[in-house]
Amino acid sequence: MLKSLRMVTDPLLDKNPVTVHILGICSALAVTTSVATALTLSLALMAVLAVSAGIISLIRRHIPSSIRIIVQITIIASLVIVADQLLQAFAYEMSQRLSVFVSLIATNCIVLGRTEAFALHNRPVPSMLDALGNGAGYSLVLLVVAAIRELFGAGTLLGYGVLPLVADGGWYQPMRLMLLAPSAFIILGLLVWAVRSLRPVQQEAREFSPYAPERQVQP
Amino acid sequence: MAEPRSSGPWRRFLARPNTDRVKTVGVALLVAVACGLSVSTAAVLLRPLIEANVAAERQALMSAMLAGLPGIGPILEEAGADAVEQVVVDLDAGAIAGGIDPAGFDQAAIAADPQTSTALSRAEDLAGIGRRENFAQAYMVRRDGELALVVLPVYGNGYQSTIRAYLALEADLATVAAFTVYEQGETPGLGSRITEPAWQAQWAGKSVSRDGEVVIEVVRGTADGPYEVDGISGASVTGYAVTDMLHFWLGPRGFGPWLDRLRMGGA
Amino acid sequence: MIELFQRAVFEENLALSFFLGMCTYLAVSKRVETALGVGVALILVQAISVPLNHLLHAYLLRAGALGWLGLPDTDLGFMRLITFIGIVAGLVQVLEMLLDRFVPGLYRALGIYLPLLAINCAIIGGSLFMVERQYDLAESAVYGLGTGIGWALAIVTLAAIRERLRYADLPRGLEGLGMAFIVTGLISMAFSAFAGVRVI
Repeated sequence: MLKSLRMVTDPLLDKNPVTVHILGICSALAVTTSVATALTLSLALMAVLAVSAGIISLIRRHIPSSIRIIVQITIIASLVIVADQLLQAFAYEMSQRLSVFVSLIATNCIVLGRTEAFALHNRPVPSMLDALGNGAGYSLVLLVVAAIRELFGAGTLLGYGVLPLVADGGWYQPMRLMLLAPSAFIILGLLVWAVRSLRPVQQEAREFSPYAPERQVQP
Repeated sequence: MAEPRSSGPWRRFLARPNTDRVKTVGVALLVAVACGLSVSTAAVLLRPLIEANVAAERQALMSAMLAGLPGIGPILEEAGADAVEQVVVDLDAGAIAGGIDPAGFDQAAIAADPQTSTALSRAEDLAGIGRRENFAQAYMVRRDGELALVVLPVYGNGYQSTIRAYLALEADLATVAAFTVYEQGETPGLGSRITEPAWQAQWAGKSVSRDGEVVIEVVRGTADGPYEVDGISGASVTGYAVTDMLHFWLGPRGFGPWLDRLRMGGA
Repeated sequence: MIELFQRAVFEENLALSFFLGMCTYLAVSKRVETALGVGVALILVQAISVPLNHLLHAYLLRAGALGWLGLPDTDLGFMRLITFIGIVAGLVQVLEMLLDRFVPGLYRALGIYLPLLAINCAIIGGSLFMVERQYDLAESAVYGLGTGIGWALAIVTLAAIRERLRYADLPRGLEGLGMAFIVTGLISMAFSAFAGVRVI
C-alpha cells in the first residue's frame, strides 16, 4: 500500500519527470503562458499516459524488442488521435482549445519515456499508478511555471485579474518577457535550483572543484 | 506429468519467443491493424458529427459577428436568415459567378485543383497561400434593396498555422464593420489572442484603404489613426500575417476587382 | 531557396525560436562530442524525413491525393501525424542499428535519448510545418536540411558553453541542468534578434 502511494508521490519532487529526468520540456514551454492552458494539457496528458501505460503493460510480454519503440509510439499516437476525434465530436468547445496540443501530447517525451522505462517491465496496475504519479509531477511543474508567467506577464491568474494593470488604471506594468519562451527557460532553471536545494541528493557530481590555493601560514 | 492442454493457433503464436521472426512480423501487423482500425473507425464514424460541429461553430460566429454590428442586427431580425445572401465571386473577372450555386460550393476543394485555381508568384502571394482558388465565397446583407454589408471570408499563412477570418465591410466598402477570426492555430497565449473579443473589437470603424490603396495594418505597439490596429505583444509575426492576408484579399488578386465593381454600382 | 535555407537555420531555428526538441537538446548537451553526434544524427533524419513525408502527404494522405488510384474523394489527412511519426521512427531504428555497428561510443552515450529522437518535436514539427506551408519537394529538401543544421548548430553551441561552465563556481543547486536552462533562455533571447534579417 505504502509502495503504491510512493509511486504516485515520488515523481512529484524526488523523481520529477521534468526537473530530474528532463522529459516533457517542449510542452512545458509552449503551454505555460496561462494557467488554464497548462491545466488543460496536464489533465489530457495524465489521461493519455495512464491509458497507454495500461495497454502497453498488458501486452508487454509479447512485444519483440526490435520493434518495441514503434509499437509503443503507434499505440500512444492512436490513443491521442482517437481522444482528439472524440472530443471534437462530443465536446467541440473544449477540443478547440486542445487540438493544438494534440501533437504535443503524442510526441511528449514523458509518455514514451515512462512506458519505455516502466510499463514495459511491470504489471498494469503499478504501471498506471506510475503514470498517474508522473502525470501529477509534470502537472505540478507546469502549473507553477504557468502561474508565475501568467501572474507577472498579464497580471491575471486563471483569467481573473489579480494585479491591476497600468492599462486599466492600476500600478502594475506587466513584464511582457514573461509571455515569451525565454522566460520559461529561466523560471525552470530557477525551479531546478530550488528543488535541488531542497533535495541535495539530486545535485550533479562535480568533476572539478574550484581551485583554492593553500593559505600561507606565516611562521 | 500432466497432459498438455491442446493449444489453439493463437496460443501457439503467443508462446513463440519474442525474437522469433514470425512473431515479430505478426505482432507488428496486429498492432498496426488494431491501431489503424481504431483510428479509422473513430474518424469515419465521428466525421459527420465533427463536420456538423464545425459548420455550426462557423455559423454561430458569423451570426454573432453580424448581430453585434450596429444596424445589422435589426435587419437580420426583420428579414431573418434570408437577409444574408451567399454569393460566389469570380475573382479574376471581378463579378458574381452566375453559373455556380452558392449552396453546394466547396471552396477548399477547388483551391487545390490546378484547373480551378491560379498559382501565385512570390511577389503576389502576400498571404503565403501558394495557389488561389478562382472562385470564392462572399456574403452580402441588404437593407431595403440597398447593400448594407459585405462579408469577405479571408485566409492566410500565419506564424504556425492558417488563419481564417471574416472581414465585414460597410456599404462604402472602405470602412471595416467587424473582423472575426474563426480558425487559427497560432501560439496559445500570444498569436491566438487574435480571437479575443477585445482585440477584434478595435477593428470596427477602421478604414482599409486610402486613395484607392489598401493601407490597413496591424502595427507593433499602439495604433495611430484609422488605418492602423494595435498589435499584440509577443505576436508580431501573427500581426504581420493578418496585415498581409488582408492586403492580398482586398487587393487586385483577391476581392479587389469585385469590390471596385460594387463601388461603381455593379454586382 | 537560399532565403528559405537561411531562414530555417537562423530566423526560424527549430530549437531556439520554436523551442522544439528541447528534451534531447537539454539532456544531450553536456559534451560537445555527443552534441555533435546527436546533431549529425538529427540532420540525417530530418533531411531524409521531410522530403519523404512530403511525398507521402502529396500522393497518399491529403484530400484528393489518392486520385492516381482512382479514389479522388478520400481524405486521409487525419493519419498525417501517425504516418510521419512512423516514418521517423523507422529512420531512427535504422540509425540506431548503424550507430550500434559503426559508432558504439556515441550509441552508448545517447542512451534513452536515441529512441526519443523518434518523437523529437523538432523532427515531427519540421514535417508538420512543411505540410502547413505547402512546400514542394525541392523546398522540403532544403527546409529539412536547413532545420536540421539549425538545430545541430544550437545544440553544439549550448554544449560548448556548458563545457566551459563546468569550471565555473556556481551554487551547487544551480550547477548543470539549472544553469543549462538559464543559458538556453538567454541564447534564445539572442536568436529572437534574427527576426527580419535577410542575408540575400
